[in-house]
Amino acid sequence: MFDRRLCAHIDWLMLGAVYLLCAIGVVMIASATADPSRATASQLPATQVYALVLGTGALLVCLVIDYRSFGERAHLIYGGLVLLLVYVLEFGSVRGGGRRWIALPWFNLQPSEFMKIGLALVLARLFSETRHQAPSGRELAIAGALTAVPVVLVARQPDFGTAVTIASVVLGVAILAGMRLKLLGLLLAAALLTAPAAWTFALQDYQRGRILSFVNPSRDPLGAGYQQIQARITVGSGGLWGKGFRKGTQGQLSFLPVAHNDFIFSVLAEEQGFVGVLVVLALYAFVVLRAVDTARRARDRLGALLVVGVLSSFLFQVVYNVSMSAGLAPVKGLTLPLMSYGGSSLIATLAGVGLILNVRMRRFTN
Amino acid sequence: MTGPPSLQRRRLASRLNALSVCVVTTFAALAVAFWYFQVVMNAEYVRLAENNHQRRLALRAPRGILYDREFRPLVENRDAYTISILREHSRDLDRVVRRLAEATGVAEQRIRDELDRHRSEPRYRPVVVIGDASLAQVSAVLARRLDFELPDVVVERVPTRRYPALGVGAHLLGYVGEASEAQVQTGGLRPGAVVGQSGVERAYNTELMGTDGERRVMVNSVGREIATLQEIAASEGRRLQLTIDLDLQLAAEHAFHALGYQGAAAFLDPRSGEVLALVSLPAYDPNNFATGIDRATWIRLNTDVLKPLQNRAIQGRYSPGSTFKAVVAAAALEEGIITPVFTVTCRGGATFYGRFFQCHSKSGHGPVDLRHAIEKSCNTYFYTVGNMVGIERLHKWAALLGLAGKTGIDLPNEVESLVPSPEWKKARTGEKWYAGETISVAIGQGQVSVTPISLANLYAAVANGGPHCPPRLLKAINDGQGWRPPDEVAAPEGPRLKPETVAALHDGFWLVVNGAGTGGRARIPGHDVAGKTGTAQVISLEGGRRAAGRTERDLRDHGWFAFFAPRDNPEIAGVVFAEHGEHGSSAAPIARHVLETYFAKREGRPLPAFEAPPGAPAPAAARGAGAGQ
Repeated sequence: MFDRRLCAHIDWLMLGAVYLLCAIGVVMIASATADPSRATASQLPATQVYALVLGTGALLVCLVIDYRSFGERAHLIYGGLVLLLVYVLEFGSVRGGGRRWIALPWFNLQPSEFMKIGLALVLARLFSETRHQAPSGRELAIAGALTAVPVVLVARQPDFGTAVTIASVVLGVAILAGMRLKLLGLLLAAALLTAPAAWTFALQDYQRGRILSFVNPSRDPLGAGYQQIQARITVGSGGLWGKGFRKGTQGQLSFLPVAHNDFIFSVLAEEQGFVGVLVVLALYAFVVLRAVDTARRARDRLGALLVVGVLSSFLFQVVYNVSMSAGLAPVKGLTLPLMSYGGSSLIATLAGVGLILNVRMRRFTN
Repeated sequence: MTGPPSLQRRRLASRLNALSVCVVTTFAALAVAFWYFQVVMNAEYVRLAENNHQRRLALRAPRGILYDREFRPLVENRDAYTISILREHSRDLDRVVRRLAEATGVAEQRIRDELDRHRSEPRYRPVVVIGDASLAQVSAVLARRLDFELPDVVVERVPTRRYPALGVGAHLLGYVGEASEAQVQTGGLRPGAVVGQSGVERAYNTELMGTDGERRVMVNSVGREIATLQEIAASEGRRLQLTIDLDLQLAAEHAFHALGYQGAAAFLDPRSGEVLALVSLPAYDPNNFATGIDRATWIRLNTDVLKPLQNRAIQGRYSPGSTFKAVVAAAALEEGIITPVFTVTCRGGATFYGRFFQCHSKSGHGPVDLRHAIEKSCNTYFYTVGNMVGIERLHKWAALLGLAGKTGIDLPNEVESLVPSPEWKKARTGEKWYAGETISVAIGQGQVSVTPISLANLYAAVANGGPHCPPRLLKAINDGQGWRPPDEVAAPEGPRLKPETVAALHDGFWLVVNGAGTGGRARIPGHDVAGKTGTAQVISLEGGRRAAGRTERDLRDHGWFAFFAPRDNPEIAGVVFAEHGEHGSSAAPIARHVLETYFAKREGRPLPAFEAPPGAPAPAAARGAGAGQ
């Protein structure tokens, strides 16, 4: 089933960029979690390396098996993940205010992270079968329903950030699958019109607070706006060259909440400065553009749309998280793919990278 | 191939191209944003980051210690603990207040009131909400701080004044308090600085204050101190040696308390003007002010009809009564109007300007010369002589001998003593002086109104034979390089009196105590105490206040006893003012006790216990109100 010649077509450059970002992430986690008052090393970086090993395994699995095989079983993978999400809502372990995890012996599984790939697979398969220039209304409706199920399940955990990320998949895949822009415009207009109702009925108080304080951080500088202001200070005080490894005061003194997780990019910006920011942004841009290139060269429509699906959530999370770390977006619990601390996120992202490499690798095969 | 697949492929390709453009644009925009924050705005954010993690804690300088003349500490410092709230990083002030109230047992409202009071101050400045925290409160807060429950609460050790118990020397030592806004602006003080507000504490505030230090610490987001970045130690204020003799101060206050009198007393060394003891009763407890006085106590002190905050020795003005006769005698002799042998025959009074002026002896003293006129305090003699001297010269000599105006004692807010003159009356009332008024002035009644310290100054001048030094409380100062006398010591002032004047006055005053006079209660065998009693009429001055519901005791006359000792080469002079003591003889035992203490110390004998003279009023518990708190 696996042809050795395929190795020649592995995108080593993209793989190198991905692992470089992971390595930078581990170093930043080590810096952010070191406790200056105790002078002991944290075990979080080691945990992250462990997740990196598991993630490499997932990447290999997603690389070796032909993506078309995944495509054929997309509905099974998707269905299994939906069941896991239901299970999590009922029996999952609770941490940090959300019921998100399934405690496994060797790590805590967060099914919502894997749902991004599952949805990408099932949507890619759906739209790959489109016979016309643009997906039909029925197809779009099915795609919407397939997306709505996990989004609602994840939002109820509650994990608003991941829910929005999952929703971003359908947007990416549908647009690339040729969805009419007129229809897209209509959907956007409808979203804008229903926004006031959503504001009143769908959002919780703390979520409204976060959005309000994003618009005007000084509205509540000690409450919801605090993290945003602190994030801006963290980034801004980094300067051109940064304060140096473990020299950042903002991250080190925990003025930023979950610095090793959601705000890992702020720590990078503080300690490595604008130069470090440019390097990491360039790496991410390279990975993304390389993935776009893969989609362009994909042998078939399934491959192209699968790459786009995986890329959608990745791109959305990177852009959102980087904006948030500079206080440019409301604070939301969204990780920075590849760099943030978090096993499931890393493993799922690497699995997605595996799929992208898979598509590129098999672009010449039949 | 022109079917849908190729159309699909083309649309996909064009949308992928569009995506590439979007990606590049987005990442470029992010890079520009980071460049703006990190490079352009860098300085501003660096400043904010420093404020974030650095905390400046003031290290309060202890004020200089005050010693008495024998280097016994009068005012020391103790460590008090204040609990403050830092509002700067507080994310939930309301919660902090609740937790703090819970931990310390202080009412939430009180903490909120304190925060309100300091609302307009910059947020980085800690607000002291508990001034003098108990150890239980401090440990409760510290324990919760370790659990990160009260990150925005700091406990500071603040050196705080400790004054003698029972308000001993309260008025002369003064008290401290937070600098007022005016003081902050004019004195270049930091807001919240503790400064002397009265007494020596205020007069020598600059010397006593010292310089605050500062500690810059690094804190984390929950307010835990991680490292000390810089520490500038506080330097203690200068230590002062006062001229006060604690033994005499205690003796005087004890005697007042034993007799149940309020009033004032000043004891001076006439040779130098050094104040050996300065009493004003009732007193207050300066310790109440040391860590910020509470409103209730402040209101009580300010509304008390006995005016415990007033320093009667330098701020109370009373008519001097017969003690004023020293001025009349000195003026008459020095101006050459009479000689000591000038004799007047007293028939119980005399008529001047068509009005009969009584002597206190209705039957009359018969023929008396100056010495015996002083001894018997014969009013007829002094009416006659005062009339001959005239008001201008009486005023002139009162001023020359240090009775009129301010003495210049080194205490704040001394009031002027008034010895009238025609110019003064003209300026004040627009009326001319009537010669009949001079007759009243001659026996220290009428418009004469003096402070105890100025009367002490007069008797120091009489004791010295004219020249006298302004009373002063500062004996030496130590700025860390040993004790040195104060920079400027005022030279003696006043004319030297003729020897025969001095002899006559000294003899007369000696007779008051040791002859048939009214000062017998001050007699100390072997020590030639000389003095003069006086009675300040209350009814004539305050008759109008009778309706104000005053008790009978409030209307009794005040008693004066002014003195110096020994008669030849006097070493100690002064005045005792017994409020509502009825007569000067009631003030004399207080002076006697202090003088006995003085001589016992000089001769190395044990300090005497106070003995109330027979017939003296029993100490009434109610009269001690306000004293000792």
